Amino acid sequence: MSQPLAKSDTTLPQPANTQEGTFVERRKRPRIAIEPRNPPPPPSLKDYEGIVDSADLDEIRWIAHQLRGKSIKLINATALGGTIADTLNRIIPLLKELEIQAQWDVITGGNDFYYVNKAFLGALQGGAYQLTPEVLDVYVAYIEQNRQRLDFGADIVVAHDFQPVALVQSRTQHQKWLWRCHIDLSNPHPDVWGFFRPYIERYDAAIFSSAAFAKNLRIPQYLFYPSLDPLSEMNKPLDDEFVTRVCEDFGIDRKRPIVTQISRFERGKDPAGVVQAYKLAKKYVDCQLVLAGSGVNEDPESKLVLDQVFEEAGDDPDVIVLNLPPWSSLEMNALQQASDVIVQKSLQEGFGLTVTEALWKSKPVIGSAVGGIPAQIVHKITGMLVHSIEGCAYQIRYLLTHPDFAHQLGRNGHEHVKENLLITRSLKSWLVLCSSLLGRS
Amino acid sequence: MAAQHTAIPQIPKAKAPFYFNSATHLVRVEREQAHSLGELLDAMRGCSEASIFQHTYQTLAEHHFIRQGFSNDFAHWTFSACNEIGLAEQLAAIDVRNFTTIANLRTELVNMLGEYLDRVPRARDRAAAEPFYFCASELFLIPTPFAAADLAEFADCLRKVSVHSIQHHFIDARLRLRLSSNDFSQWLEVDADRADLAAKINRIDFYTQTLNGVRAKIVDIVESAL
Repeated sequence: MSQPLAKSDTTLPQPANTQEGTFVERRKRPRIAIEPRNPPPPPSLKDYEGIVDSADLDEIRWIAHQLRGKSIKLINATALGGTIADTLNRIIPLLKELEIQAQWDVITGGNDFYYVNKAFLGALQGGAYQLTPEVLDVYVAYIEQNRQRLDFGADIVVAHDFQPVALVQSRTQHQKWLWRCHIDLSNPHPDVWGFFRPYIERYDAAIFSSAAFAKNLRIPQYLFYPSLDPLSEMNKPLDDEFVTRVCEDFGIDRKRPIVTQISRFERGKDPAGVVQAYKLAKKYVDCQLVLAGSGVNEDPESKLVLDQVFEEAGDDPDVIVLNLPPWSSLEMNALQQASDVIVQKSLQEGFGLTVTEALWKSKPVIGSAVGGIPAQIVHKITGMLVHSIEGCAYQIRYLLTHPDFAHQLGRNGHEHVKENLLITRSLKSWLVLCSSLLGRS
Repeated sequence: MAAQHTAIPQIPKAKAPFYFNSATHLVRVEREQAHSLGELLDAMRGCSEASIFQHTYQTLAEHHFIRQGFSNDFAHWTFSACNEIGLAEQLAAIDVRNFTTIANLRTELVNMLGEYLDRVPRARDRAAAEPFYFCASELFLIPTPFAAADLAEFADCLRKVSVHSIQHHFIDARLRLRLSSNDFSQWLEVDADRADLAAKINRIDFYTQTLNGVRAKIVDIVESAL
């Protein structure tokens, strides 16, 4: 990323502008801090009253009562950042409040372990890869280190994603082990999958985010949708004054229609395709396009994707591209709340939690029919599914010119998330599964 | 002269209280998949009853907030992935209230799909835009603290229980009772001697309104009798 154009505030993040003179990222006074804010204290179950029916919360308490005093160990690969860590940070305090002994451990390793896992991630999601004995040695050696270091003494152990999968060698007879897969395993690299599969089949059950991601395994497989926390900074209601201020900071005119995609700048999210759809739509309806994401500075591919975006956007001042730091959840939230239409035109997608976030904010959403998006968008009922740039452009035009229909979609989308995709629903599913495995239901 | 007191009418007690329960479920991913309508028919014949339940009854619960007539997953997939609008319309018109067993519901689905594919053979093997993944429900009963001894308490409890409890007693109950009725109507008729209310409640159409809408209608009917 190049240096900021705005010079008035030393706390500014670095705005995007790879082609100086041809594209201007407009920010008057961005107020995003240069360091993460201290996170607010995690909510208690009672805090969800008013969002979720209290009878629903009582049902959760009843199920949890069956597990009182039991212990659950959750293991993943990262302590900070990413959906898994974010979710564990919110759900563990709730488990503890329900008198379940929840503990969270993170596996560790050197840079070689990190790179091996990064390569495995790509391969398991369908990428080309050459698996070598040396790579396997690295993985196995670090797993052994972690097996020596960690204590697995819990009634239930939950391993998140593939990195800690081989820890299952430490299971004891009376324990239950669950594997929670967060990635799209529908087309994995056969050698890498062949390595992990025998470990996975030693678990008691596997949990996937979409039926399409599940595999033909010898253990039961469950479908748990990822969930959002309605009390998090990304999803809580905001004062309209704050929303307006964020828009002003970023040079967004709230008096004119706003179309937004919030996603990392990756090819799979097709931000350049979104610009093309916007340009087609703008021939007939006035609107601004906001593309907001983060992580450009860390990922060389993002820079290339951003270059494509700028090339597509040309000198259109209504295309506003924002590279925000990872701790700008409140600002992302405000951008979503200010939007008239939210787009997620991915070419490939995991579950697509940004769609969930947009639906929760009662926004009309246009999403590609890929990954977990069709599980969230029932076409013409909770949102609009599209398969092309042209289709996306047409739906932008249609929704901006049919506000009643757009409003109805938003209302249905909100209800869908409320019923099926909130953290309380996820908590309930975990409690029921654990209770069932321990013979308490 | 003695003051005249207007007697407060007593609400008769039911012969037995109504105990409200609720239910929750896990969705298990099954082995069957369909990439065409022909494969859907084969899988529909052999899948578990829990699968038929998931894609008909349970999907109603998951989409209970939709007023526009979400019916079942088979109809939805036939429309969105196979573009067989006529068949989708037929499948969507299958009303779970007409069945008191999953076996009968499965037979109806299989017959309807089989007859269509006999009539329109080109539709049998044409690849769907996306596969149909069979899932199955694992249901878990949850007791609630709510119990009603008379109509007033019944209405009060109805307002407080979760929509899952309404689903459990009003929709899923048919399979348990093996009757074209529901738990609420059964209690009103058998224990509260109010066959009139029972019949009215059994006529509430849960396909054209949300479960909260159903709840409100039941409460209205019960309160009109107080």
